Amino acid sequence: MTEPYLRVENVVKKFGPFMALNGVNLEVYPGEVHALLGDNGAGKSTLIKTLAGVHQPTSGQLYIEGKPVNFRSPRDASDAGIGTVYQDLAVNQLMSVTRNFFMGRELKGPLGTLRMAEMDKIAHDEMLKIGIDFSDPTQAVGTMSGGQRQTLAIARAIYFGAKVLILDEPTSALGQKQQMEVLKTIKRVRKRGDIAIIFITHNEIHSQLVADRYTFLALGQVIGAGKAGELSHDEIRRLMAGGAEMKDLEGELAAI
Amino acid sequence: MSDRSEADRLTQESTLMRLVRRPEAGAFIVMLVVVTAITFASDFKAFNALGLKNNIAIISQFGIIATGAAMLMIAGEFDLSIGSMIGFAGMSMAMMLKWGLPFGMGEATPLTAFILTMCMTLFIGWMIGTIVVRSGLSSFIVTLAFLFFLRGLTEVCFRLINQSTQISGLPDFKEESWVAWILGGEVFGWFYDLWFQLGGNINRRGEQWVDGFDARFLWWIVIAFCAWFVLSRTQMGNWIYATGDNKDSARANGVPVNKVKISLFMFTAFCATMFAACQVYDTNTADAAKGNLMELNAIAIAVVGGTLMTGGFGSVIGVAFGAVTFGLVANAVFYIPWLDGSFYRVFVGLVLLAAVFANERIRKRITGGI
Repeated sequence: MTEPYLRVENVVKKFGPFMALNGVNLEVYPGEVHALLGDNGAGKSTLIKTLAGVHQPTSGQLYIEGKPVNFRSPRDASDAGIGTVYQDLAVNQLMSVTRNFFMGRELKGPLGTLRMAEMDKIAHDEMLKIGIDFSDPTQAVGTMSGGQRQTLAIARAIYFGAKVLILDEPTSALGQKQQMEVLKTIKRVRKRGDIAIIFITHNEIHSQLVADRYTFLALGQVIGAGKAGELSHDEIRRLMAGGAEMKDLEGELAAI
Repeated sequence: MSDRSEADRLTQESTLMRLVRRPEAGAFIVMLVVVTAITFASDFKAFNALGLKNNIAIISQFGIIATGAAMLMIAGEFDLSIGSMIGFAGMSMAMMLKWGLPFGMGEATPLTAFILTMCMTLFIGWMIGTIVVRSGLSSFIVTLAFLFFLRGLTEVCFRLINQSTQISGLPDFKEESWVAWILGGEVFGWFYDLWFQLGGNINRRGEQWVDGFDARFLWWIVIAFCAWFVLSRTQMGNWIYATGDNKDSARANGVPVNKVKISLFMFTAFCATMFAACQVYDTNTADAAKGNLMELNAIAIAVVGGTLMTGGFGSVIGVAFGAVTFGLVANAVFYIPWLDGSFYRVFVGLVLLAAVFANERIRKRITGGI
C-alpha cells in the first residue's frame, strides 16, 4: 500500500481535566473509505474537529504526506486539503445552489462582481460528476432534499481541493432512499482514487457497505482497527458498542 | 429504478410566475394601488409639477434610509439608531457652519462640515457594529441604547453651544459652494424644462413653475443602485446574504461575518448622514428633533419591500417600491383635504402587518415550512 495521505500520531486532547482523546492513532489512505465508529461521547467529534483545525491537540502530531503539520485554524486545515462536511452541512437554505457552492470563495471579476454564469456552470458540472443532475442552479437550497444538500456540500469540498473528505454522520437524519444516494456518492468519490474519505457513522450496515478500513473509538481511545476483510460482522458490532459483548447486553436487556 | 430523479420534482416555472413570486411582487402591487388611489382622490394634484417634486422629496428621504436599513436587515441585524443619527449629523453640520469647526480649526465650509460629520458618524457606525459583533448582544438592544444616547447628545450639544435646540437662518451656501449645491440644490431640471415646453408646469403668472427635483432624488437613485448592484452582483452581496441566513455556516466557509456586519452598520450611518446633509443644505436649518422615528419608518419600509425580519433575504428594488408607497401616503394629507394626517400611521400599521405575513409565506415556501 502507498503512504497514507494523513497520519494521526498519539493525539491527546484535554479540555481542562477532561480527557477527550487519549493517544489516538489513525492512518488515512487516498482512494479509501475509512470508517470511524464509536458510541456517543467516544471522541469522534473531538477527533474530526482536531483534524479540521477547530481544536489544537494537547499533544501528539498530525502528518500530511509524511510531513508534520499544525493547524491553527479551519483555514489552515482546508488549505492543507482537509475538507469537512459537518452534520448541519454549513449550507444556507435561502440562498441558491450556486451561491452556496461558492460561499466565501466566489469567482470574482472586476469590482468584486460575481462571474455568475461561470459559477452556475461549475456548480452544475461538479454536482453532475458525483451523481446529481441539477436543472436549475438558481434553485434555493431550502427546496432540496437532504441527500441533495449532502451532495452539494461534498461536491463543494472536493471542488475546493479536499484530499481528505471528512463526512460527519452523513446518513443520519435521512430517509432510506436518500441514505443510499449518499452511500453511492461516497463510492463515486472513492472511485476517483485520489481522495481519502473519513466516514463517521453510527450505522454498522452503512459502514460495511462502503468502508475499506475501520477505526473504533471508545472513551477517547482506539479500541480496535482493521481492514474490511479482517473484521467479522460480530466483531464490528462488538467494537461499535464500545467493546461490550452483544450477548451480555442482550442478557442485561432480557433480565429487566 | 425509474428514470425519474429527485431533480425532476422541481417544476420549471413560467417567467410570469417567477415574477409574481419575487420578494418585490407584493410591494409592487401595493404601490400600484396607492399611486392609483392617491391620483384620483387628490384630483391629480398629487402629481402636478409641484406635487411630484414634493412627493419625490419625501420618497427619496425614505428611500435613502430604508436602503441602508434593508441591507443591514438582510445581514441579520437591526439599527434603531438611524433616526437619532440623522438628528446628530444635522446638528453637527449646522453647528459647524454657524460656530466654526471644533477645536479652533477655523471657519467651516460646507465641504469640511460635511466631511467631518461623515467621519464622526461612520466612526459611530463602526463602534455600534463592533460592539454588536464582539459582545454577541442583540443589535436591537445595542442600537436602542444609541437611539437614546445620540438623541440626548444632540440636545446637550445644542444647548451648551447654541443655547437653543434649533438653528435657523444660516446663509444659503448653495450659490457659492458646489458641495451644498449637490446635496441641497436641484437636479433633473431638464425634466421640468421639458414639461414647461410641452405646455405644462405653468404657475398662475404664466411662468415656469418648478425648476427641478431636490438633489436627494439623485442621491437616492445613486445609493439604491449601488446597493442593488452590490447585493445582487458582487462577492460582498453573497457575503451579506450568507451572513444573514446562517452566520455559522457562512463563517465555516470563510466569510468574514464580523467585517460584513460592521461595514453595514457603517452604511446605515452613511445613509442617515446623507439624509441629514440633504436636509441641512436644502433648508439651511437644523433641529434636535429631526429624524425622530425615522428608524422605525426605515424598518417598516424594508419589511414592506420584502426583506425578511430574520435576515438572509430581501431586495433593494422592493424597498424602492415600499419607499414610494410610504412617501405618497405620508404626503397624501396635503393633496386630499378631507384626509386626517394620522391615517398615515393607520396605513403603515396595516400594511406592515400584511407584509410580515406575506414575507413569512415566502420564507416557508423556500425553507420547506420550518
